[in-house]
Amino acid sequence: MGVATARTITLQGASGHVIDVQVDVSQGIVKTAMVGRPDASISEARDRCRAAVTNSGFEWPATRRVTILLSPADLPKRGPHFDLAIAVATLAASGKIPVAALTGVVFVGELTLDGRLRAVPGVLPMAMAASARDLGCVVVPEPQAEEASMIPGMTVLGARSLAQVVAILRGEPVPEAAPVQPLAPGPLLSWRGEHRIEAVDLSDVLGMADAKYALEVAAAGGHHVMLSGPKGAGKTTLAERLPGLLPDLTLEEALELSAIYSLAGCLPVGQTVMTRPPFRAPHHSATRTGILGGGSGRVHPGEVSRAHTGALFLDEFPLFQADIIEGLREPLESGEVTIARGDEIATFPARTMFVLACNPCPCGEYHPTNRDNRCECLEVRRREYRRKISGPIADRIDITRHVEPLTRREKDDPLARPETSAEVRARVTAARERQARRYDGTGWRLNSAVPGPVLRERWPLPPEAELLVDDRVYAGTLTRRGATRVHRLAWTVADLRGVGRPDVAEVDAALRLRSGEPLMLSALGAVAG
Amino acid sequence: MSERVARVALSRLSEPGDVRLTTLVGRLGADRVYELLRDEQDVAGVYTDVAARLRGLDPERELAEAATKGIRFVCPEDEEWPRDLDDLDRAEPLQERGGAPLGLWVKGARRLDETCRSAAAVVGSRSATTYGASVASDLAAHVAEHGVSVVSGAAFGIDQAAHRGALAVKGLTVAVLACGVDRAYPSAHRNLLDYIADTGLVVSELPPGCAPTRVRFLSRNRVIAALARGTVVVEAAVRSGALNTANWTTRLNRVLMGVPGPVTSAPSQGVHELIRIRGAALVTRGEDVLELLAPSGSFLSEVPRAPVLVTDRLGDRERRVLDAVPVSRPAGEDSIARTAGVGEPDVRAVVERLAGLGLVEQTSAGWLRTGQTAPR
Repeated sequence: MGVATARTITLQGASGHVIDVQVDVSQGIVKTAMVGRPDASISEARDRCRAAVTNSGFEWPATRRVTILLSPADLPKRGPHFDLAIAVATLAASGKIPVAALTGVVFVGELTLDGRLRAVPGVLPMAMAASARDLGCVVVPEPQAEEASMIPGMTVLGARSLAQVVAILRGEPVPEAAPVQPLAPGPLLSWRGEHRIEAVDLSDVLGMADAKYALEVAAAGGHHVMLSGPKGAGKTTLAERLPGLLPDLTLEEALELSAIYSLAGCLPVGQTVMTRPPFRAPHHSATRTGILGGGSGRVHPGEVSRAHTGALFLDEFPLFQADIIEGLREPLESGEVTIARGDEIATFPARTMFVLACNPCPCGEYHPTNRDNRCECLEVRRREYRRKISGPIADRIDITRHVEPLTRREKDDPLARPETSAEVRARVTAARERQARRYDGTGWRLNSAVPGPVLRERWPLPPEAELLVDDRVYAGTLTRRGATRVHRLAWTVADLRGVGRPDVAEVDAALRLRSGEPLMLSALGAVAG
Repeated sequence: MSERVARVALSRLSEPGDVRLTTLVGRLGADRVYELLRDEQDVAGVYTDVAARLRGLDPERELAEAATKGIRFVCPEDEEWPRDLDDLDRAEPLQERGGAPLGLWVKGARRLDETCRSAAAVVGSRSATTYGASVASDLAAHVAEHGVSVVSGAAFGIDQAAHRGALAVKGLTVAVLACGVDRAYPSAHRNLLDYIADTGLVVSELPPGCAPTRVRFLSRNRVIAALARGTVVVEAAVRSGALNTANWTTRLNRVLMGVPGPVTSAPSQGVHELIRIRGAALVTRGEDVLELLAPSGSFLSEVPRAPVLVTDRLGDRERRVLDAVPVSRPAGEDSIARTAGVGEPDVRAVVERLAGLGLVEQTSAGWLRTGQTAPR
């Protein structure tokens, strides 16, 4: 009898830790003990593993003392995917598998009572964590082998049953087994218009040159946008066209996003890797957990994380629960979200573009110009509505635009040649490539992610342009954080224009974009619709 | 040689708005001036300046070539010459430029005089804000819908917004260029200029093929001002060329109008100065422009008003009584009389009148306001 160690991974948010599953089989009072802070589902593993081992035709050391240690002990451990590592370590400890075969291998998978493997959520981030610890081989349930193979240099063994895993480790011929069901359910139903977002194009929208340019800048630099305007003016129409302006994900982004979807257990079946940026548009009745992440038991990534590398559209923003609005401060500023719960702290990436939309008042009819104002809201109600977007939140919005309904004059303009999403996407892609070159080796991809001090130190504004920003700061109309955001925005405007660095015109444009003042598009060489 | 061909020749020889030449033509006639120049007579120093351009000049061929491109030359002896242009001869020159054009090269099927009979110039900064562009467009669309042509310069910013506003309502618009009408400047406006030539007119003092230069823009501005009854400046920074057009408008005693912007906006600063010092009329929409340009009284801009409420028609005593009637707890006439400072017999009469208007109602415990103030 002896001792053996198999490895698996536990996830905390989107980060993974290697867990040693150490099993000692020795003489003593007959008992199977599990130590090292297992959660309920791992404690159940004892019974599952025992049945699975027995039903796979192996012998569980039932007449011995079996001690299963999960270490490091101070980490909370979650999930049923420890089964495979426990079973394999037990078999190795009882001499059924050579102990050496377990070195450098990570085991992930839940066992059924008859010894088959079941798919588990989060295989991709687990494989990522394994790779980061120089563990070059993972054994995973077969349908998830593809997911784990996304990690470059990773040897992935997809298995259907415990018997197959044992055979592989022993170097014996692999026995037949029934295929494993994939985790994500197949689509139960599809409906017409399911792919509506992919079918819409920017050229469907006439006029609104201002708001369109704002979206282009947001897409190019990953900046947050607030669209306000009376109901029916076209805020949603515009927001839905934002994903179409974004280029395909880079490999790195695709991995990050797929890892989040893997964690959420909703990586689409048959899709190795997500290639298009996500667009999420939760309703304002959504819960805090739904938006920011959390949940009982396993911590689920929220909408802010599922929109990572893409866009999150929050329509009727002031109608969201106040604590959700305030909870958005962190993701708006840092591009990640931390869920602290008891002794568990989970951090998920949430580097998404926030597109917030709001009406000017609760009834949605208020026009600041008196002429066609049909608003019936009391001034108090109007003020209350606007106050829901608190100062700290508003300060984190890079671009504000007021969207006015299309006029007949814009609709009938015979010379209007609205640009297609593809044309704008080409410019956005070029601007993103410029950023990628500039930030090569720094760990940032987009202007919106570069920390303020680094930006001021390494990519400062020319003195004359800096003066424009300072004027507003000293006048009290721009906060320090706002100044940093304007600085980033100016770089994006410059990247879109293809000029080497931002100057007065770019900073002016950035200030206008932020304050909601009308833009001077012809000065930027942008073509107005 | 006809007067017309001589004018074609002179338009090729001289820079537009050359005061020396326009004065000479006014005194001697174009034919005679052209003859003098061909005889190498250096009248007022003009010959020295144009000598190089005289070589190989063939005005007849120029006319024929222009015709193949659908371009015609309109001069004062033509029926379609807008008489309004002659005002330039009487206006004081500005920066050594002035006088009526020798003629205008025109592209487009419509008659020039009819198209410009009732016209408004809408001009402004090339680096306009989207606010300026949208105001210019809406304003141009409104006046064009009411039969007023929109004259502008086909530049970026306000100019193009004005043209397109007029085109959107199938209105007439005239683009006055600082280069030959066969050229597109800026080149991005090729489509715009083609469209204007198809539906309205593209005109220029300069013969086909000429390139735009800085001074040519200044001369061009006087033509814009002279073709229109009035000029609306939408956005202009303190050094904008649109202010030059405004200058000409004043010199021609035409109506000068300005659209204000936010007081903090640099692109509106020039306009604000026009309104503050130079007496430009403040306009905010097409109606305002029509009121100022159309024959007196034919268009009256509606003054924006709040809706009239019943309470607006009450006299002072009635208002005092009404204000004294409580909203939530009914009050007797004695209490109302005390609060309002109106005698009790009067109060009775007044509350009954107010009740007739539906403003107050009688309950068992006294009088109460109904909260109704809707217009009657």
